[in-house]
Amino acid sequence: MTATSALTTAGFTPGRESIRSVTLANGMKIIVWPVRNIPNVALYNWVRAGSRNEAPGITGLAHFFEHMMFNGTARRGSGDFDRLMEAQGGSNNAFTSDDITVYQDWFPRDALELIFDLESDRIANLAFNPEVIESERGVVASERRLSVDDNNHGHLAEQVQAAAFVAHPYQFPTIGWPADIQSWKMQDLQKFFRTYYAPNNQTFVFAGDVSPDEVFALARKYLEPIPRQAAPQPVRAVEPEQEGERRVVVKRNAQTPLLQYAYKAPAAADPRAPALSLLISILVDGDASRLYRELVERQKIVVDLGGHWHEGFDPALFWLYFTLPEGSDPESVQSIIDSQLAHVASQGVTAEELRRSKCMAAVAFWKKLSTIDGKAQLLGEYEIFHGDWSKLFTAAADYERVTAEEVQAIAREVLNVNRRTVGILLPDPEAEGEPADDELELNEA
Amino acid sequence: MSTAYALTVPASGGVHVPAHERVVLPSGVTLLIVPSRDVPLIAFQAIVRGGPLGDSVRGRQARVPSGTASLVAGLLEKGAGERDAFAFADAVEGVGGNFSVSAGAEAISISGQYLARDQHLMIELLADALIRPRFDVPELEKLRDRRIELIKATKDSDPAELIGVYGRAQLFGDHPFGRPAGGSESSLASIGQQDVLDYYEAHVGADRLLLVVAGDVDVPALKRDVTRAFGDWRHAGVSLARTPDAPRVSGRRVLLVDSPDSAQTYFWLANVGVSKRYPQHAALDLVNTLYGGRFTSILNTELRIKSGLSYSARAGFARGTAAGEFAIRSFTDTENTGRALDLSLATLTRLKRDGVTQDMLDSARAYVLGQYPLGFETASDWAAALAELEFYDLGSAYIDDYGAMLRAVTLEDARHVIDTAFPSPEDLAVVLVGDASRIRDVARQYGPVTEMSITQPAFVP
Repeated sequence: MTATSALTTAGFTPGRESIRSVTLANGMKIIVWPVRNIPNVALYNWVRAGSRNEAPGITGLAHFFEHMMFNGTARRGSGDFDRLMEAQGGSNNAFTSDDITVYQDWFPRDALELIFDLESDRIANLAFNPEVIESERGVVASERRLSVDDNNHGHLAEQVQAAAFVAHPYQFPTIGWPADIQSWKMQDLQKFFRTYYAPNNQTFVFAGDVSPDEVFALARKYLEPIPRQAAPQPVRAVEPEQEGERRVVVKRNAQTPLLQYAYKAPAAADPRAPALSLLISILVDGDASRLYRELVERQKIVVDLGGHWHEGFDPALFWLYFTLPEGSDPESVQSIIDSQLAHVASQGVTAEELRRSKCMAAVAFWKKLSTIDGKAQLLGEYEIFHGDWSKLFTAAADYERVTAEEVQAIAREVLNVNRRTVGILLPDPEAEGEPADDELELNEA
Repeated sequence: MSTAYALTVPASGGVHVPAHERVVLPSGVTLLIVPSRDVPLIAFQAIVRGGPLGDSVRGRQARVPSGTASLVAGLLEKGAGERDAFAFADAVEGVGGNFSVSAGAEAISISGQYLARDQHLMIELLADALIRPRFDVPELEKLRDRRIELIKATKDSDPAELIGVYGRAQLFGDHPFGRPAGGSESSLASIGQQDVLDYYEAHVGADRLLLVVAGDVDVPALKRDVTRAFGDWRHAGVSLARTPDAPRVSGRRVLLVDSPDSAQTYFWLANVGVSKRYPQHAALDLVNTLYGGRFTSILNTELRIKSGLSYSARAGFARGTAAGEFAIRSFTDTENTGRALDLSLATLTRLKRDGVTQDMLDSARAYVLGQYPLGFETASDWAAALAELEFYDLGSAYIDDYGAMLRAVTLEDARHVIDTAFPSPEDLAVVLVGDASRIRDVARQYGPVTEMSITQPAFVP
């Protein structure tokens, strides 16, 4: 969930008046928030490409690109990007989701021009070295084994997500299906790069010890010459209405059973977003949250729980996940959870719960704004998913205005058993050695 | 160092300990206040010296079970003063605050962040938790049973998370650093209320408490509230023990933790390293940055960048009041286990033999200097940093002079660090978590093997 806020004191954020943005002639947008607390800069480059833009056979490609963007250009060898950046005091990372790929750099202000040189070079001149592609395939396969194959939560969530969508590419795991990771070809990479890494499909957000004028001047020098390209085809898929609960059962080596719910939920830009975010907070955020108190503290039938809303360009999922104690029966736990959720939908939330969730959102908002990294991230999220970075500064008031009735209304709509996929992971002492495709049962109730 | 960089970075590396106040209350509580006004938040970091180190309790022959300090920490917020566990959570979260407790190798830590307007409540809650915890039996049993299930769940989904716990138990043995801070399934199951009360009486008290409050603080009100709350608190029942130094291991031994069906082997290679007071710590940071601390490190270059064997390979030093471990951590596809282990050992052999070059040292220096300020942005960062300086008695120079110390590091210093702090590849405690049926024979090539199942309710066979 977006860690944004509520609270009247958030009505004014120091420094927001100094934020400036510009769109280059090639369509690339640059946003700058000058902040002078430390002599460093955070850069987030938001590329509008994620697993949502993939197709069967090339799943995981957007994420693979997140890796390939560090592996050499026509001007520089594989590894030079990191080597040069680190030698000037910078570090970097990147992440990919269903909707976007984001490249992050954190560097001392004096490395600013080097960063422009490196970033513009990989956008304009990315190289595709067959040996490097093979080596990076191994890295991504290892990442998949870590986060999915050897992780029961990750494994179950992948199966649930795949079952929750029948038409929309949100069914694809961002990391990619194993066979796809092993089989995509050079021309798949080249095509994906040409399509999605156009300058007009990217947004650079800077926060830190820089002035907008110096950043804009460097952007004109390094980024503006990269030619604009045809805009990528929009994702046309629309998920049909789900008309009954789907269930996924996975049996594998485990001590503790797992239970996951994935409800169909609105897109990030939906005007009810603040109400839905507050609902999640009321249900699962902290020891005083409703489900934690009832299931973990009072009834002791769950040992850990969490939830999040995938805020995407298209309507996606609202997740709740539960770790159960060894030996427990997920079916009976499920009926207790369901009665709790039904109660929220029918009776709503209390004034105290709503107030608590707003206060927690306010602290999260200020905490995020206390770092240059948090500032760059929040500005980018509002620009990309809400269409305008300046909406960050009205979000606080939007949260503050949410009423208990609005929270109940969104609970009633989203917490609908007919529009959910339930995942159950059962410990199976026999799981060892069974063929993988026997581990999955899928049916639509 | 690159010339352009040297000319433009301030002499300190850009970080100075901000103006702050230090007060020692008559009861022995140390209070540090670090005001800043950028956002309307305050943060605290409270440290109670002791932690699992304080497992021995006055009047007892045997130690309390591993994990007792951690349960004591967890129970501090499960009912204290006038509030039961639910009322305590309501009070914290009702104002959007948080109250995070943990037990590390040498201390119990509590941290939290609140809106500045809730400063008074924040101190009230902290004082209740530390001075007036209830330790009710139903809460104890609930937390204990839940912690046991959480260990099992972690074994199911994140074996790499626990590999250091297995490793330290093997490397340090009976030394306090070898005991699992969070306990094991079996040690937790044996903890009763008396263990908790004994530990609390012996190891929690005013003379053990260090409290740092940072951010948008109302300083006079804070001093008044802290003095009122903690001014006449009792001392801990026993005096704080010094953590003894642990011996380094000679030769290699392997602990193989069997996780059937695991797709990868997770590995950890370690020996006892150096303490927080290691004098050449700036050189140590540079050499470790080069060896295993950043993306282009020697280790990550071999295991990830060049070979594609692993998503990640890292190395680093845990440094306490006594020497913690130097450990290499990575993982790879089960069938490549031997190859990845060989490559890891080869990097260590190369470091010990060839050392680093001037170019490498300059690059690491620029990197560490350039990244350093990012750790000191927020009130929470400064609360944690000041607590660390105070806990280890390091003084502000540890931060203020760090940039100058980095600049002064020579190749000779780097060689000294490599010789004294980094282990020989022949002397390592090795832990492998993976599918034993497929890697048992490989494991034997690295030393005598002890095997256990990941479902065993302890971190030692």
